[in-house]
Amino acid sequence: VKHAKNIAIGAALFTLAGIGCSDDSSGPLGNVDALIILQRPKRNDGGDIFQYTSYIPGARLIKLEPPTADGKITELCCSNAGAEFQQMDIMAYDLSFDAKSVVFSGRLSTQQSFGLFLLNLEDGSVTQLATDPARDFVSPMFLPGDKILFVANAVVENGAPQFQDEYERGTTTQVGRINVDGTGIELGARNLSHRAHPSLASDGRVMMTEWRHLGGVNEGDLIFMNSDMTSQREAYGREGTGFSNSYLKAREISPGRFITIATARDRTLQAGVLLDVRLGFASTSDGVLRADDQMSEAHASSVSLTPDVPSDREPSANTIGRYYDAFPLNAKEHPDLLVSWADGPVESGVLGEAGVDAVFGVYLYDSEHQQRHPILLDQDMWTVFARPLQARTAPPVASSAIDPKLAGTGLIGSMNVYDSTLHTFNPGEVFGVRIMEGFSSEGGGPRMFGTTMFEGHANIGLARVQTDGSWMANVPANIPVHLQAVDVYGMSLFNEPVWISVRGGESRVCGGCHEDRAKTTVIDPGLTMAFHDIKSAMSATPRQQRIATDVDLGNANLITTGMTPQQTLDATDKLVGMAWDKAVQPMFNGRCTGCHDGTPGPANPSYQIVDPVTNTVVFAFTFNLTATPVMIPGTEGPQTYPASYVSIAGVDMEAVERLHLMITGDYKTYAEPMNSRGSLIIQKINPMQVYPAPTTQRAFTTTAHSVDAGGVGYPELTQAESLRLILAIDNGLNYYARENSAQHD
Amino acid sequence: MTMKTMKLAAAFAVLCAASPAFAGKGGSAGLIADAIHSGSTDAIIAEVERTEALMCPDCVQLVTNLLEDNRYAVREVAAWWFAKRPGLNVLMTSQMLDDLKFGDAVHVRNAADYLGGVVSHASIPALTDAMNRGNVSADAKLAIVRAIRVMTNKAGNPILVKGMSDGDAGVRAASAAAWREIQGQVGAVPVVGLLNDGDANVRAQAAQVVGAMGEVNAHGTLEVLVVSDADPVVRRNAAWALGQLGQSASRAALSAATLDKSGLVRNYAKVALTQLH
Repeated sequence: VKHAKNIAIGAALFTLAGIGCSDDSSGPLGNVDALIILQRPKRNDGGDIFQYTSYIPGARLIKLEPPTADGKITELCCSNAGAEFQQMDIMAYDLSFDAKSVVFSGRLSTQQSFGLFLLNLEDGSVTQLATDPARDFVSPMFLPGDKILFVANAVVENGAPQFQDEYERGTTTQVGRINVDGTGIELGARNLSHRAHPSLASDGRVMMTEWRHLGGVNEGDLIFMNSDMTSQREAYGREGTGFSNSYLKAREISPGRFITIATARDRTLQAGVLLDVRLGFASTSDGVLRADDQMSEAHASSVSLTPDVPSDREPSANTIGRYYDAFPLNAKEHPDLLVSWADGPVESGVLGEAGVDAVFGVYLYDSEHQQRHPILLDQDMWTVFARPLQARTAPPVASSAIDPKLAGTGLIGSMNVYDSTLHTFNPGEVFGVRIMEGFSSEGGGPRMFGTTMFEGHANIGLARVQTDGSWMANVPANIPVHLQAVDVYGMSLFNEPVWISVRGGESRVCGGCHEDRAKTTVIDPGLTMAFHDIKSAMSATPRQQRIATDVDLGNANLITTGMTPQQTLDATDKLVGMAWDKAVQPMFNGRCTGCHDGTPGPANPSYQIVDPVTNTVVFAFTFNLTATPVMIPGTEGPQTYPASYVSIAGVDMEAVERLHLMITGDYKTYAEPMNSRGSLIIQKINPMQVYPAPTTQRAFTTTAHSVDAGGVGYPELTQAESLRLILAIDNGLNYYARENSAQHD
Repeated sequence: MTMKTMKLAAAFAVLCAASPAFAGKGGSAGLIADAIHSGSTDAIIAEVERTEALMCPDCVQLVTNLLEDNRYAVREVAAWWFAKRPGLNVLMTSQMLDDLKFGDAVHVRNAADYLGGVVSHASIPALTDAMNRGNVSADAKLAIVRAIRVMTNKAGNPILVKGMSDGDAGVRAASAAAWREIQGQVGAVPVVGLLNDGDANVRAQAAQVVGAMGEVNAHGTLEVLVVSDADPVVRRNAAWALGQLGQSASRAALSAATLDKSGLVRNYAKVALTQLH
């Protein structure tokens, strides 16, 4: 790709006689009679790529015929549809395969939610489809088989609130579909974060953006799923393969090849770089470049078609601007695209300060020469989502993968957990796979679960790995789950950093624990040993009951030597949510606090955080495993976390560095979230074996603290107590769990 | 308006900072100040979020000021920021509870949004008292109702019931809509009366709530609404509700509604007919 200089692009802006404006019928719009385009009143909100509720009345769908700057504009919807449509805003739309109707997401007024509407292009009639009027239904898209796919903040789980994302606190949108006649609405499984901007691939699968957020990850990546909302699979952007933080509004150029907008998650009005993503090895035939050979994230690559546009949240320069969406007109190596583009600093802060809005207009983009040719611009509107108003071929209808024998639960598992590209396991060291449910604060729980930025966790079961490396579990449908390979001490050997979910009746069995994506893996669960020993991970337990009892959390002898393997698994499965005040603090009390009580000395190392510029002590702390609320110098009030939690969770080392502070004294990070095996406190305790049945075999070769402490003030932790601390760490070192929720009191 | 102040030692923010801080990175007080100066809601939200786990004494007053911004989205993200700092939250909650008792309408509004934003279940009695104060504006009442909706706590039901009889139609509509969002809520008896409210939006909200909550006794009123209400949104929601209730007695009304003059109603009625027992 040639890197054109800014001035060349700027000059191109003034070239009206571009490809799309000529009479040359061989140009990229030569066989296009008209375009359909969405116009929304311009705005400076909804900068976050997952926002969907922005409302300003006055949107309209128009036809531009012919598709040139001097073409005739005809309004298709909705000022002529009736009084109730006069205040309509339209978020997105799709054209039917036969080009005779349009489905769009529209909002009638501030008092209404976004709903789905069908526009009949032959008679101009508009019909709202029968969705829940109190929920938002957006980004609709026609599916083969007379269905419409959408994303919505309606919740699939009866009686449960929809998740709120940790950031922007938006009610998350999840996938659903409905028949074009309004019947048969069904909602897909949900994730903790948003799924957004779906589009259809020629193989019938759906590509969309998923906000991937577990611990340190916070990005919007592209995923595939089948049109029946099963078989979700990563497509592009994960594990360091990507180009920017987030990708959205992907559209297929050719099989295995997509044009997408690459940008930061927020502040860029959902606009950024035009990125040509190739999911497999590329090949060219008859001028069509496709990339569906051995598609996998491992083989994926990308080409920026707009190299000067910032791919992060920096304000774009004059004449560079940002792109809101793109529609491919051909599949040349350098494709021609219908794009929406706005000039200048398309960044919400700069625009806000200047008191102006970005103005997106429609252009024909010649990516080979990086030239835009204006087609339609309205200074008061966002003119976006242009596409040819013409019929297209529908992909094949995929058969449903829902298995009624699963009775509404989901089946997850691996053929061989040792098959992993992310971690090398020692043979035989994986005892089982821990399955953890994730949740956010949507249920009226705390806004944060601790200081470590992890979502709420509940252990819903440990599936034993069989001798062939396989494991399987029935899990509740439609909830996000997170997996860890666990050793015989109950410690995580490897943490898979992603939330997954399955529909009722869906089987999602992988080759391994993130197996080689470039390798062909035969998935045949029936061949595995685990198929005959499927774990039930609370698959039939209602949400409100997926908690531990206070009695079990406080039972030091929940696991005892002499238990059978099954008794042991049954017992440890009772340890669901590791609420610090119920599961951890009682264990410290009496067993540890005799020495670790905050009295400075060898048992309680102290440290200070100092501002070297002013030479003032910002914070002073002494190791302390009691529940004493940490008092703040200045006596304005107590910290609500106990000293034990501050001692184990520590402080934010990145922030210390960032503010150029210094730590003096003896500071250690005693626990690493999601990694109990690598945590100092666990190594110090040196826990004993739990699985398959409890023994006195210790995890590490080092001397256990119960021994090196000389038996003074430190009775040995029981296996149940050690496991609770292990679980607390492997669950993200949260302070709160569902067991703390007021809704469970 | 008097801005709140937080006389805090820098240590406050340190303690509230996280062990390995992951997401929500990259912010600073300077960036928040720039965002505030820009006036952009998006920019303010983004920059406040970025200081989620940052020890940032200079952020405290900036974010405190945002709790009194005129925009709900800004107040909400500011409350979220405090919720991430339990020590500060204790202090701010105390001030907000005072505002609920003694503040003017704007302070009550801001306090309610704060207490909802930090999900302070313990504040529900104080919110109830504030709702019962005679001198609270509709905006403030809307915020109180919104706080209960965020907390999804049944202990807030008396607030919603009170709101449903408020003189302001917006408060009545919001209270009815919030009823459905409360966890563990059973039935919608208090909402049924609003099906005959004089305000179309209140009727529309009431219709969707009684349908979603399975309030079967409402089907007769809904059958009247679906064919005769002047507002197409009310007719639409009534059709949807009748489908949810599934009463075969609703067939005639829904059949008539399939011929409704408004494109908002017809498909709802057709689909509802397929849902009748």
